[in-house]
Formats: sequence, C-alpha cells, structure tokens
Amino acid sequence: MKLGPISLAVVVCLLLAMPWLVSGSFLNAAIQMLIAALFAMAFGLLCGRAGMLSFGHAAYFGVGAFAAVHAMNAFGGEGLLPTPLLPLVGAGTGLVSGLVAGYFSTKRTGVYFAMITLALAELLHALAPHMKAMFGGEAGVSSFRMPAWGFSFGSITEVYFLTLAWTLLSIAALYLFSKTPLGSLALGLRENAHRLRFLGYNTHALGTLIFAVSAMFAGIAGALQSLNIEAANYVVLESHISTAVVLNSFIGGVRVFLGPAIGGAVMTFFGHVTSDLTRVWLLYQGIIFVLVMMFMPRGIVGEIVDRFSAPTRAGILRLLGDICLRLGAVAVAAIGAIFLIEFLQRLLSNEYRANVAAAGWPDITLFSMDWSPLSIQPWGFGLGLMAVGIALVVTINRRLAARKEAEA
Amino acid sequence: MAFRSYARGTAALALVMAAGTAQAEALKIGLVETLSGPQASTGLLYRDAVLYGISKINEAGGFGGAPIEVLEYDNQGGPVGAADRVRAAIADGADIIIQGSSSAVAGQITEDVRKNNLRNAGDEVLYINLGAEAMELTGSKCHFYHFRMSPNAAIRVNTVLDGMKEAGALGTNVYAINQNYSWGIDVQDNTVAAASALGFEVVEETLHEVNKIQDFAPYVARIQQSGADTVITGNWSNDLLLLMKAASGAGLDARFGTAFLDQPGNIGNAGAVAEGHFVSTPFNAEVNAEASSAFMEDYKSKTGHYPSYVEPAAVFGIQLLGEALAQVEPTEDGVDATALALALEQATVETPMGVVSMRAGDHQASLPMVVQEVTRDAVYKADGTEFGFSPVKVISAQDAEQPLQDSCEMKRPG
Repeated sequence: MKLGPISLAVVVCLLLAMPWLVSGSFLNAAIQMLIAALFAMAFGLLCGRAGMLSFGHAAYFGVGAFAAVHAMNAFGGEGLLPTPLLPLVGAGTGLVSGLVAGYFSTKRTGVYFAMITLALAELLHALAPHMKAMFGGEAGVSSFRMPAWGFSFGSITEVYFLTLAWTLLSIAALYLFSKTPLGSLALGLRENAHRLRFLGYNTHALGTLIFAVSAMFAGIAGALQSLNIEAANYVVLESHISTAVVLNSFIGGVRVFLGPAIGGAVMTFFGHVTSDLTRVWLLYQGIIFVLVMMFMPRGIVGEIVDRFSAPTRAGILRLLGDICLRLGAVAVAAIGAIFLIEFLQRLLSNEYRANVAAAGWPDITLFSMDWSPLSIQPWGFGLGLMAVGIALVVTINRRLAARKEAEA
Repeated sequence: MAFRSYARGTAALALVMAAGTAQAEALKIGLVETLSGPQASTGLLYRDAVLYGISKINEAGGFGGAPIEVLEYDNQGGPVGAADRVRAAIADGADIIIQGSSSAVAGQITEDVRKNNLRNAGDEVLYINLGAEAMELTGSKCHFYHFRMSPNAAIRVNTVLDGMKEAGALGTNVYAINQNYSWGIDVQDNTVAAASALGFEVVEETLHEVNKIQDFAPYVARIQQSGADTVITGNWSNDLLLLMKAASGAGLDARFGTAFLDQPGNIGNAGAVAEGHFVSTPFNAEVNAEASSAFMEDYKSKTGHYPSYVEPAAVFGIQLLGEALAQVEPTEDGVDATALALALEQATVETPMGVVSMRAGDHQASLPMVVQEVTRDAVYKADGTEFGFSPVKVISAQDAEQPLQDSCEMKRPG
C-alpha cells in the first residue's frame, strides 16, 4: 500500500493524541486494538509475505505473554528489565520458540505445514494446565506493573503510550525487514520455492528464519498484553486465539503491508462495541468474515488499494460514487438482516419464552418500536429490507459491469 | 420483557418512595459476566440470579433511598475481555463487581480489583465472586476486597462424602477420577485427605485430559478392576456425562459422588444412568419445603424458570450483600467499599436452607450444603425427565466449613 509520508504522519499524530480525544473505555479498546494489530502483522509476515499459513500462532503470543509476566515478577520492574523494556523478553522467547517450532514445521509446506503448527500449538495448550508452576493453573499468573523511568504505569494513558511505542516500532521494523534481502526472499518463498532452491538458497533455513521473526513479533504482542492486563492465563493458548488472528488478517487483507494490522484493529473494535450491544455479536463477526471472503477475497485493505490504483482524478471521483452506491445498497440489506437476527434472538431468548407461558405472545420492542411476532410486519420488514438491499446490490453491479464493458 | 419491565417498575416505585429523602448518587453494580459465546449458558444463569436478587433489594427500598443500578458487561468469555470490562465498569462508576461463571475470569478480576484498590486508595471497589470455585481464590490469591459466595472443592467433596456415608452409599473402596487441572486436582486431594476420618480407602486415583475423551470405557474398566464401590469425581459437562454412561454401559456397580451433576441438561442427557448418584449443592427445594417452594415460585414468576444449578447460591450471595448494604451509610458517589467489606464479614442471612454468613479469615462464604440423590421420587423434576434430586442430608454451615488455607495472607485495612 502506498502511504504518503503526509498521511502516515497524520495517522501517527492521531494515535498520539488519542488519550485526549476518547474516553477511558475507548482508550482501553485502543490498547487492545494496537496489540491485535501487531499480532496480526506478525502473522501477516508469515502468511501473507512468505505464504505459510500458520494455525498455531497463539502459541508464540502465549509464550511471550507468560515470559513477560514471569519477568515482571522476577525483576520487579527494576535493574536490567525496567517495565518499558519487558516486551524484549517476549521478543526473545518468541524468537527462540519460533526457531525451534519453525525448524520442524517448515520442513513441510502447505496443508502439512499448517497441521504441524496446529499440532505444536495444541501440544503447548494441552501441557499448560498440567504445569501449575509455569502457567499458574486455572486462575492464571498475575503480576504488577512497577514504576520505572519516572512513570508510575498505573494509569491507562501510560500503558497506552507504552503499547503504542512498541507497536509503531515493531511495525516500522517489519516494514524495514520487508526491504531487506531476507524480506524479498520471503516473497520468493511464497511465489516459487522450487526455483529458489535451484538458485542455491537453503529454503528450509530461510523458512525457519522468517517463522522465527514472525514468532518474535507475536511474542512482543503477547508481552504487551501481559503488561496491559498484568496477568497471563493459559486460555491465551486456546485455538480460538490462533483462528482469530487468521480471520482478522484475512479480513484486513493478508497480502498488503498494513492489511493485517487494520483487520486486527477493526475487528477488535467491532467486538468491543458490539459485545455490549448484542449477545449475538459473534454471529455478526462470522457473517462479516464469510462476506469478505466471498466478495472481497483480497481483504478490505487489499480491495481499497486495488481500486484506488486508478490514476486520474475523475476516475477516483467516479470510483467514490460507485462505492457509495454499493455501500448504501449493502447498508439497506444489512439493516434488514440485523433486524431479523435481533428479532429472532429476542424471540428465542429465555426471558421471552417465560413471558409466552405467562402472557401469550407479547410485543417485542426493537429499534424503539413494538412488533408483534404473530403479525406479518416484523417478518415483512426484515425480509423486505433484505430483499430490497440485495436486489439493489445486484442491479448496481450489473449496471457497473455493463458500463465497464461498454468502455472497454 | 416482563422481568425487565418489572425491575424497571420496582426501580421507579423505589424512586418515588425515596424522593426527597436522599440526593446521593445511586449505587452501581457492574455485572461482568460471560453473556455470549460457548460459555454463555452459565453466565446467563448468573445474570438472572443477580437481577432477581437486586430487584428484591430494590423492592425493599434499594440503597440509600435509591434503587441499585446493575450495569451489564460481556467479558467475552476470557480474562482479556474481563480485564477490559472491569476497567470500563469502574470508569462507569461501579463500586461492586459481580461475576461467577469462570475461574480463569475470576482470577483476572480478583487481581484487577486488588491492584485497582492499591492504586486508588480511598476509592476501592468490591468483588463479589458468585461461583468461581478455584481454591487459590481464597488461598494464595485471597485479599480483603474479594468475597466468594459459593462453595469450593473442599466443601463440595467433604459434604458429599459425609452425606453418602449417612445414606449408607459410601463404600470402603473409593476411586477418585478427575480432570487433570487445578480443579480436578483439588477434588482428588480433598478426597484422599478425607479417607481416614470417614473410614474408606482410596483404591486408585486417576487424572485425565479435560473435555477431550470420547470413550471412557478403558477408565471404567480400571475402576472395575480396582474393586471400587464408590467413585468420587469433580468432572463436569461431557466428562461427567460420558463417564457415567460408560459406567452404566459396562454394568459398573458403584455409586458416584459428584460436584456438578445438577448442571442443566445433565439429567436430561443421562436419564436413568444418573439414578442413585449423589451431588452436594447449597440448595434443594424439598428441604424446608414451605419456604423453599415460595422462593422457587417467586423466582419462576420473575425469570421464567425454577432456580437451578448455580442460581440459588448466587441469590443467597446477593441477599448477604443486601444485608451488608443495610448496615452501611451511602456516600457521595455510592458506597465506601471498605466499610461494606467490614459489614459483609459481620452479615448473616436466613435462607430456606439455614444461615449463610461470611468467614472473615479468607472471605469464603459459610453456607449450608444439601447432599442429594437422583431419584424418581423427587418433587421437582430436572430437565423435564422423571428424575430429580431428593435430599439425603442437610449439613449446617458450621459442619460444612473447611479449615482456612495457610496460603491466604489477607492484608486488612488500617
């Protein structure tokens, strides 16, 4: 993605000003978004750039998290490892565990590689509950952020700046890495590993190295999470953490540089906002993933980059118009779908079923209106909006395709 | 929505009654529970119980003349989400955090509350743990602002053994089979520790993988070989169901003493296989039938279902909190958590099962336990089957109590 230095500076300034712009609760979410973004970037290096799909990245995230928590307790935030440098422990342990795991898993490629990463992560996940001294048992290992360098690290704002600094540094390092010969060889590994080997490169060593670097950045993200929540629990090794980073990266666009970061940040924000609004937010998350994969296989950022590579000003204006049209149509369908899902969720809830037994089929309040589940209105409204929205999308797509053909 | 509108109605009523008496800000309680995802079913039970319990307090006038406000947060099932939501709850002005459905989440919340209180002396918050039973929460992780309202592994195991002995169902050869993580190990250790006092021998101990085993036949074969006549297990969910089914399939002639047989769905799923097995919980509707059934019906009229599994103990816990709240004065921004914690240590509440109180030493609730057997004669049937839980023995709070853990070093204020 071609980010001009100006827009980059604007984004960094916005991030720096965040504590003064948003409330405490959103600052919390911002910390988690940064961590998710860094974790997804680490994954993106391996999956997007080097073409190795790992299903076990939670292992390196978790290793970094536990290493940081133990280091926090051992050093008390003083001496060699003051609080701000703790992510280095995550980086170190991530790198070492990545070298070991990478050595075994990169012996194979494709599905077999994915299976080995999954198996190694599950191995750690299965072992963790048995090693109480290391992983702390069910209630986890906890720690305390100690003051260092004149900061108390008691307030969220200080934690935010610490996380921001490490995330920006890491993403910059990842960018520079992609410019090194090793970074370019990663691309070669993805595109044609056989040719690379014929050219005399040791592809196994190369794969191991890239795996280790990716695990190192995952470890930093894990350590940042430990710093943020001042604890680590072995649930961090669960497979859904590994899948979440895969989903986030693909939603953002795994093959564009900042795609995974934006995917991670957006989906974390999505979870933060919707989980307090609706109990079925995981369903929406799943629907978004399926839709993105079906209609934007390059991911959100990938799609944007692709579309805006058109050079002329008129072209960009027309493109914006097209996108607005499409978004509007999708929004109509989405409102219908959300209405139906929320209506069904309320209809099937325990509370409502209790009322049915007591008082027949009472009205359901949704979007500040009362709807009777026995009448046609709610079903007609939901299904109707969805149908209209989908019809609009199809029509717009046909028109645009016809125009493109006429111009070609 | 009857329950919610009902709660709103009582809140409005209390507000009208309170108008003019006090201007203090309403007390806010943050419910940081698992409300979505695979673990939500238990989280939603806690939510029902808390909303019911608080609506009762509000009916009686609320706190400081104003109804108590419950703010709901979804911890997304894990410690990371919980840490986030606890911060949000405290930022929104909650003075009390309530949670119960997971020990992993509880471990995070109790530590977050402890650190928050260290950093914000004078503006402390209280953590009411309604059901996370890991021993270290009242052991190495215990602190002054954490209160556990549910039993723990030691209480569950010792009471179920006690009740089975009374019913003549406890043999001399006991087999301990548990899940291999902190909870299962706690159950196993407590079973072994009780052996000499109750006159049985633990013939074999097994720890197995958690929720991964599909076929328990090999384990059941070992139980058969060992000659055990009683099996004590802390297993929950599938690990309990599949174990009981395998035992029944192999014709194993042994009684089971369990901790979580009353989880909704278990009896429905196991059916006749569960008959004759035992469980020890803080409530059974046939004990003190008059008061209990009044509670059952009142709960059902407001939430739509009879209280089961974790709900009764959670309601008792909220009642205990209500008693403590009645003893403290409201402050400008809600309540002084330290005064409330001191009041909670003194509070007692009369429940249909007996007196519930709070032990000051480690903030573990001291509550009566009912050992019960799965039979066809039970008055209240479980999961719409012909089976239910019949009480075998009621164990008073004093008798159910277990010694303090040495690892708990509580720093008291002042």
